[in-house]
Amino acid sequence: MFEVDMIFAFALFSVGLFGITSHKDFLRIFFSLEMLINAVILMLASSAHYLGLPQNLPVAYMFIIIATLEAAVGILIFAAANKFTHVSVPDELSEGLNK
Amino acid sequence: MNIVFLTIVLVLAIASLTLKKSVASLISFALMMLVLGLYYISLDEKLLGLFQIFVYAGGISVLMLFGITLIGTEFPPAKKNPWTALISFLFFVFIVALFWNNHTLLIAHGTGIIESKELFAKSYSDFVIIFALIGASLLYGTIKMIGVLKPKRRKDV
Repeated sequence: MFEVDMIFAFALFSVGLFGITSHKDFLRIFFSLEMLINAVILMLASSAHYLGLPQNLPVAYMFIIIATLEAAVGILIFAAANKFTHVSVPDELSEGLNK
Repeated sequence: MNIVFLTIVLVLAIASLTLKKSVASLISFALMMLVLGLYYISLDEKLLGLFQIFVYAGGISVLMLFGITLIGTEFPPAKKNPWTALISFLFFVFIVALFWNNHTLLIAHGTGIIESKELFAKSYSDFVIIFALIGASLLYGTIKMIGVLKPKRRKDV
């Protein structure tokens, strides 16, 4: 069952990778980032459970907290940038700031 | 049982990236996190599961909704580039092959299925100072950012 968990975690990571490389809007980029982080958390949790590596669980908690703070700060930064530039796509932010 | 949970997670993950409406996509994302949390609870990692549900299905989803209401729901469509899908798929095949060749080594290093009761209380205290530092610095950044977002008051003439 450990193998099944790991393969699903790799699949989730690949879906996140696809989302980051193919989407332009900030919402889907954030979703994809969270998927990448959650794939890693899934690997840590399943290895802690099936392989008896309990030291992985505090790392998983730390990942969750850092991911939360990253999302909070990222959305605030993008909201602030959107207020000045009126741009909703991260790729166009530099053009909006130069206007 | 875990195949069912993880298949639902994967389907919801793909749906959250492919649905056109932002709010439907957000609901799919929140459901994905909820199912993942339930899966952790079924693995007997109850605290991690509750953390997952409260933080992701609750906190981050509301934060994203806040972002959508600030910025708007109109976004450009995704780039239609088949190379990104192909590269992601090749990455998946490569990493599964790498794992499959070496997973016996991983299992040999493990000690078998464990009970994780009271583990949080024992080992989490080692990370408290790091959490406090990260939290304090990011809270400072958030407060500064709210200051930037706040509209300037006009002086009365």
